[in-house]
Amino acid sequence: MFNTVFPYLLTGISVGGQYALIAIGYTMVYGILRLINFAHGDVFMVAGIVMVYLNASGMPLWLSILLTLLITVVIGFTIERVAYKPLRTAPRMSIMISAIGVSYTLQNLVLYITGGLNQFYPKIPFISDSVTIFGVSTKMVTVVTPILTVILVVALVLLINHTKIGMAMRAVSKDFETSQLMGIKINNVISTTFIIGSFLAAVGSMLYFTNYNTVVQTSGAMPGLKAFVAAVFGGIGSIPGAVVGAFVIGICENIIKGLDIILFKAGITTQNLGLATFSDAFTFALLIIILIVKPTGLFGEKTTDKV
Amino acid sequence: MSRNVLKVENLTMQFGGVVAVHDLCMEINEGEIVALIGPNGAGKTTAFNCITSVYEPTNGRISFLNTVIAQNSPQKKMRNIYAGTLPGAFTDKTVRLTPDKVTKLGIARTFQNIRLFGSMTVLENVMTAMHLRRHSNVFTATLHLNRSEEKTMKQKALKLLETVGLLDVQDEIATSLPYGKQRLLEIARALATDPKLLLLDEPAAGMNPQETDELSAFIRRIKDQFKLTILVIEHHMNLVMEISDRIYVVDFGKLIAEGTPAEIQENPAVIAAYLGGEDE
Amino acid sequence: MKTKKKINAGTLWSALVVVLVYAGVFIAEQNLPSTSMLFTVLKKGATYALVAVSMNLLNGFTGLFSLGQAGFMLIGAYTYAIFTIPVADRLNVYQYYDGGLIQFAMPVIPALIVAGLAAALFAFLIGMPVLRLKSDYLAIATLGFAEILRAIFQWNKLGAVTNGSNILREFPTFNDFNIVNAEGEVVVYLSTLVPFLIAGVCIALIVMLINSTFGRSLRAIKDDEIAAEAMGINLFHHKQMSFCISSFFAGIGGAMLAMYQSTIQAKAFTSAMTYEILLIVVIGGIGSVTGSCISSFLFVACSEWWLRFLDQKQMIGNFEVPLLRNGFRLVVFSIIIMIVVLFFRQGIMGTKELPDLFRRKKNLKPEVKA
Repeated sequence: MFNTVFPYLLTGISVGGQYALIAIGYTMVYGILRLINFAHGDVFMVAGIVMVYLNASGMPLWLSILLTLLITVVIGFTIERVAYKPLRTAPRMSIMISAIGVSYTLQNLVLYITGGLNQFYPKIPFISDSVTIFGVSTKMVTVVTPILTVILVVALVLLINHTKIGMAMRAVSKDFETSQLMGIKINNVISTTFIIGSFLAAVGSMLYFTNYNTVVQTSGAMPGLKAFVAAVFGGIGSIPGAVVGAFVIGICENIIKGLDIILFKAGITTQNLGLATFSDAFTFALLIIILIVKPTGLFGEKTTDKV
Repeated sequence: MSRNVLKVENLTMQFGGVVAVHDLCMEINEGEIVALIGPNGAGKTTAFNCITSVYEPTNGRISFLNTVIAQNSPQKKMRNIYAGTLPGAFTDKTVRLTPDKVTKLGIARTFQNIRLFGSMTVLENVMTAMHLRRHSNVFTATLHLNRSEEKTMKQKALKLLETVGLLDVQDEIATSLPYGKQRLLEIARALATDPKLLLLDEPAAGMNPQETDELSAFIRRIKDQFKLTILVIEHHMNLVMEISDRIYVVDFGKLIAEGTPAEIQENPAVIAAYLGGEDE
Repeated sequence: MKTKKKINAGTLWSALVVVLVYAGVFIAEQNLPSTSMLFTVLKKGATYALVAVSMNLLNGFTGLFSLGQAGFMLIGAYTYAIFTIPVADRLNVYQYYDGGLIQFAMPVIPALIVAGLAAALFAFLIGMPVLRLKSDYLAIATLGFAEILRAIFQWNKLGAVTNGSNILREFPTFNDFNIVNAEGEVVVYLSTLVPFLIAGVCIALIVMLINSTFGRSLRAIKDDEIAAEAMGINLFHHKQMSFCISSFFAGIGGAMLAMYQSTIQAKAFTSAMTYEILLIVVIGGIGSVTGSCISSFLFVACSEWWLRFLDQKQMIGNFEVPLLRNGFRLVVFSIIIMIVVLFFRQGIMGTKELPDLFRRKKNLKPEVKA
């Protein structure tokens, strides 16, 4: 039984860590701007494409990794300045539509550049290596991801709780207008949020695509949506919530992918039920259940609208 | 003795640790004009929001013409941080009608921070408030089989606009009106729901002195014309003293005085609350 | 009295424009070769116009930000296909499922209505939990439901009904509306006019709804939920109704898309499709039915026809225009969309409708700040 479930669990934890790194970007932006940044998944995808092209240009790997991080951060920052900042006083629906527009633009841009062909992700030494854990052979990235995720999250939480900019971020997410009156430079705070989010998405993309090998223009859509669901599940605006949510979704999703085999080997079913089709649908079912049972998510705070 | 219209028993409204309304008791009888006054932030509008069921009270019972519209006692986590006493203990069951049901029962309100329908004309604003008494359903409405109903609605709405003196601006976009007229439109819209009890939240705010003078006569007039009972929140003391039969005074969510205008003017607790008395 | 006369004049002129458009479609169809790109655009445009208007009913007139349109189109398309594939062809289509479970075929129009009803029924069930959520949660929950539906329709255990992840085909398409003589030659072309008629009737119904008592309640909810509720409008009931009606027409739109494409597959109904429709609504103007219709045709014409040249190498004299190759059209297109979203937030029409264009400027509704 253990031998059947363990590989799926392992992949689940790894994918969960990758979702967590994307989910943080969603949850931080939502916490501050109350915006579902639909383009975040595509920023994640673009980070993958940038890495592919930088590596193909023949520069050393360490340099292409550094440049990928830098370029992704610049893209995230630019998107906010160009597409969201001008709409700060507009109704929230407009900003969400703008985010969808950005997502559409990024996908089409990548389609144009790559010609819509699968791009093979470069092998990053060490994390692409094979490793055997409890008799299960897997890539090193599976082990590295959760560790790296935890380290980055701890660093981020320290940043938010113990630095000046972190304090400003907390203030802005509590009350946008008042913090402006208190002299917080709101645009700097928002930009920082986007920079952190994009940076983590870039790290996530390196781990994710090392796992999946190829990148296309639509690669970001599904992980993006799932990471968003993870953020909602954990209570949107809460970083630990997003991380917990991401791991729950990553693990459940992979268990469902293997559920047919697990059930078969356990002797519960005798035929293939095709349940793997539902691995994506499960995420959304979870979303809907949490929204009905506890709309504020696991760690979210309740707010009352003022009349 | 006239019939009791609204009864508020031990109403407490707590947002987390903040107690906005604390153990408030009120009774309003048919045909009265009652004022609810108090300094800013005393919890007056919160009380209105509880009565119209926009908020769910933390504790207490509100009944309208002997129908319970809200009843609650502190639940779960709230029990630990609940600041009020637990008089009455309305634990038998939790009741909360939705705001539209409350309006259907016959309570209408205006809003302190005017909430007109911004994309509609003045006339449409009033007609929208009549929908709760309509008989058409979505199919008959779509096929426009309810023309006669629409026509009566329109006539009634025009009559209401005439009453409040907005007939000449019926085709203007509601939010383009000057402030004072928007307040009058809010009242017309509330009247269109055919209420028995009318809640006015600072009707004189933003009106000039002349409009305010006219307002007190106007409130009396609509009270008689539509056989209303009125509960009004107002900061304008001249207006309050002129129109009210009785006054409730709240401060920091608590009821500090109750009585006729003359009694309230003499009450030392009220004077202290308004002028800032010495610390006890 | 004076204003009433003007409204009538506006309506009259608008009716005339609509009649002219229909007449133009009919005449063009009889005289131009049926392979003309124009007809592709008109057929797909009519389909998208209906879906866009149905989305506008929610987003523009009820203030509900729903992103489930692709899901409801999926239900509509499948319901239509499943019920109209001729019995003789079923063994061929459902080749892995022994001809499938359903062994009858319905005429086209009843099947369209059933398609709408199926979508509305799902909307009713989904609406119960989801419509109580706040705006952005509603968006993500409806998006999620659309994804779940896509998975369910591809599940091979339901293959006897849905054909699993295989395509559905052989159902009647728009071309089957052409009137054919005994030799199989087309006598009267109706393959473009009929989708126009179907979409036209549906959109007319939506417009009538918007202008009715009920539509006024919906606008009240959009303007101010709390005030609407305080005026005795039951929020949930009205939202539910609007959601079901919107889905009903999205379902019919999905069926029309099936007829246009002649084959369907669940995996094509992605969230990208919903986004496209949302962008059509935005370009047309959120809150304008006319705008949604115009922008549907513009959108389809640009993406299928007018901007096609951007995807091929172009020579001006001896100079080869740079950048032009496969996919450039979509890049240009996205940039146009972003410009509209950022700088022309009112879209083509703002909240104005066709009759407004024929009225004097003074009578126009002032632009309402959202």
